Amino acid sequence: MSGPGSGEDPTAAFRIEAGELLEQVEQGLLDLEHRLDDMNLVNAVFRGLHTLKGSGAMFGFDALAAFTHHCESAFDRVRKGDVRATPELVSVILSAADHMRALVDGDAPAAHGQAILDRLAGAVDAAAGGGAPVPAPAPRKQGWALSFRLPPDAMANGTSPLALLDELRELGEATIVATFDKVPTLDDLNPGHCFVGWDCTLIGDISREAIEDVFLFVMDDMEITITPLAVEEAEAEVAATPEHASVTMDAPVAANDTTPRGASANRSQGEHVRVPAERLDELMDRVGELVIAQSRLSQLAGNGHDLSLRSVSEEIERLAGEMRDTMMILRMVPVSTLFGRFRRLIHDLANETGKAIELVTEGETTEVDKTVIERLFDPLVHIIRNSCDHGLEKAADRIAAGKSASGVIRLSAHQAGGEVLITITDDGRGIDVERVRAKAEANGLIQPGQVVSEDELLGLIFHPGFSTAAQVTNLSGRGVGMDVVKRTIESLRGSIDVKSVSGQGSTITLRIPLTLAIIEGLLVRVGEGRYVIPLAAVEECLELSLEEDLRSRGRSIITLRERLVPFLRLRDLFETGTKPDTYQKIVVVGTGAERVGLVVDQIVGNHQTVIKAMSPLHRNVAAFAGATILGDGSVALILDIAQLIALSQPREERRLAAG
Amino acid sequence: MPYHKVPHWTPDNGLEVLTFGLGGETFALEAGIVREILDMMPVTMVPGADALAASVINFRGRIVPLADLRGSFGMEAHAATADSRIIVIELDMDGAPILIGLTADRVDEVTVLHAGDAEEAPVIGMRWPREHVRCLVRRGGDVVVLPDLAALFSRLTARGGEPVSVH
Amino acid sequence: MTASILTVDDSASLRMAIRIALTGAGYTVTEAADGAEGLAKATETRFDLIVTDLNMPNMDGLEMIRALRQQPSQAGVPIIFLTTESDDSMKAQAKAAGATGWLVKPFQPEQLIRVAQKVLAR
Repeated sequence: MSGPGSGEDPTAAFRIEAGELLEQVEQGLLDLEHRLDDMNLVNAVFRGLHTLKGSGAMFGFDALAAFTHHCESAFDRVRKGDVRATPELVSVILSAADHMRALVDGDAPAAHGQAILDRLAGAVDAAAGGGAPVPAPAPRKQGWALSFRLPPDAMANGTSPLALLDELRELGEATIVATFDKVPTLDDLNPGHCFVGWDCTLIGDISREAIEDVFLFVMDDMEITITPLAVEEAEAEVAATPEHASVTMDAPVAANDTTPRGASANRSQGEHVRVPAERLDELMDRVGELVIAQSRLSQLAGNGHDLSLRSVSEEIERLAGEMRDTMMILRMVPVSTLFGRFRRLIHDLANETGKAIELVTEGETTEVDKTVIERLFDPLVHIIRNSCDHGLEKAADRIAAGKSASGVIRLSAHQAGGEVLITITDDGRGIDVERVRAKAEANGLIQPGQVVSEDELLGLIFHPGFSTAAQVTNLSGRGVGMDVVKRTIESLRGSIDVKSVSGQGSTITLRIPLTLAIIEGLLVRVGEGRYVIPLAAVEECLELSLEEDLRSRGRSIITLRERLVPFLRLRDLFETGTKPDTYQKIVVVGTGAERVGLVVDQIVGNHQTVIKAMSPLHRNVAAFAGATILGDGSVALILDIAQLIALSQPREERRLAAG
Repeated sequence: MPYHKVPHWTPDNGLEVLTFGLGGETFALEAGIVREILDMMPVTMVPGADALAASVINFRGRIVPLADLRGSFGMEAHAATADSRIIVIELDMDGAPILIGLTADRVDEVTVLHAGDAEEAPVIGMRWPREHVRCLVRRGGDVVVLPDLAALFSRLTARGGEPVSVH
Repeated sequence: MTASILTVDDSASLRMAIRIALTGAGYTVTEAADGAEGLAKATETRFDLIVTDLNMPNMDGLEMIRALRQQPSQAGVPIIFLTTESDDSMKAQAKAAGATGWLVKPFQPEQLIRVAQKVLAR
């Protein structure tokens, strides 16, 4: 099965692995920052660095291995209790992790690495300062007396006594004498069993671990005594440190291990196959084409009268559907992969702003399409920066306001229907609505004194004309504004919403579809054109009789179970120039609390839709989120529900293209 | 780099082009940017789109905008005939290549134009905006128009303002 | 003649890493993707060492070790299994099944080579 291709490139595999290891190390360090004496975390960080060093060396990343070695050594000393874990040490290793990342990518400035190592040496010295100096290795020139007998089945199970004796001889000057006192009489002798025992004197500077290492695999089941030939102090010292922790340690993977992802990844290492992301995308494209071909097939089969063709077509339809579902699952990754990256950001922001900031995450196991995850990163960075920079107050101000000294940024995710909701909440001072108003007036977005609701004012922060120039700092002034955030979220067919309570903080909610590639759609006809409405947004379908239609002429509101719902005549909006069908339909769609009725000529039916992007030439056409190819090969446009809802607002009416 | 604002004439002052007819004029495109010539096929109108690219087609599973240059050159729209074709070209927009279909009343030939026959679009006396034309090339008794596609289409890819979000 | 080693693991990347480490140290390496394939290959050819994962589809490592130890020809063939620090009970079971030794994941190539050298009788 192992064919040629990038999957066989161990270096590429290592790069991916290294990224994950560094991620785990970073998470461990960020946890450690809060629980400096948590030895499980210390061990986890140590193991990560250790593996990175070893694998790095294995795949030729010598600079990485050498650099990591220093960090590993430092953590080894923490692990052994020589050195305390201090905030400075954690912070140095964090920047070291960045450097390691650069070393993996091959674009690390060497001087930078040296600077980190210098800082590391300082941090280690400081952390060791006052404490006991590193004990010099005790002189152990004496040696050991051993007496041992292997488990009876050792030889059958592949242990070679001769190899063990050879290993002992390699340790030092060995005098070995076989003992035969346990050898049974010939009648009872099983030739496959080992009945011989050995007494051995080993002379030399040898640690107990080195001896135990020889018997590593049989130690638990054998009889062995290891006695130092002289001087007890040597033994006392070696007994204290289990040198081969990585091989024999029964590490308590504790209940408070806060990196379940790392733990589970470790546990299931033997079950996972790594696939480059592009291959997953390729497969997705193929599945998409299959779904299209299949719908063409079922159309042909449906038109004809060949029953066997129809049954094969149905079979293929089922299989294609299942394959699509499986494909969706393959592409899902937990948001923890996204949230985890922000802990570092918060750490840095806390340093830069001098504010105490705590990050709380919830719902990290919620799974989202990997493309969505990737594209959410930048918007979330911007929102979090904004919250830390403008939202959260300095500790003194917080205490004065009766709050805890450290501000809290809460990131949470949960799934609701076909969407995932991600909220970013801070418990800071909230968005200053009057300042927003002042800025919006200054920038001409609203007239001075114009009556605008608070929600509308808050919505203005997403307007492209709402420059944040006056409050640019080195944090949130970087690059993008909230309009870009909004645009990115909308390009994911999602929506963004902001709430703020003065003095208590603000909440930004992102609603994102779980997947981008395929959706269930409702195929409708408007005039001569066919369009797809994402089924997830459809709430109900009603009939609109001709009389009702005439009665409601000039109005754009209908009463739906005692609620007023705005509606859009898509025939008018799309300027089809056709006459309405006798029985038009209203498809009521909604996102969040907002809904709009879309008047269409006909509901054609459900349609599984592979979403294709619109061309950049249609970038400024707001009403469509994409397009799809129907069974007959023609193109149907997919309606952008969020945009249509915006269009249905009174003052936005009839404004289809923004360009 | 087949398409440039100023045509890149070869050292011997030639330029390999595909010529096609539209609204009684003859246009030419660098042959290097032409991906495929298609027969007319069903098109899907995009409501709200600019008249320059008012519809899309399915080109091998990709959604490709179909552009009609007639409007930009002051010509009347008219229905497709048996000679009508779609020329699929690849154009760099904002640094990324995109596919665009161009409608043509007829496709003529691949030929070589000569730099010596080229002249800038005259300031006056033209029926269409000067900025839509890179240059005119005399060929036989005829004049071939090299349209400025990048300028024409960049108007569509420019980021327009978005409707204000109202919550 | 160089020692021949069979590596049994359902993770291709881990097999790759093992193969690279061991071939780099001069051994000949044969790969099997699960216990059943491992058993078949080991029955066909006697290897000098078998390095196997425990948790695998189509016959796990424990079953394979037991099945191998049933065969007289496999007596004395060292079998190293790969385990994680957290599953001690697996370690005990594998030893009871007749494994020679173990290597804790994650491991370094040198560790693997050291273990291979250790159990390969010279």
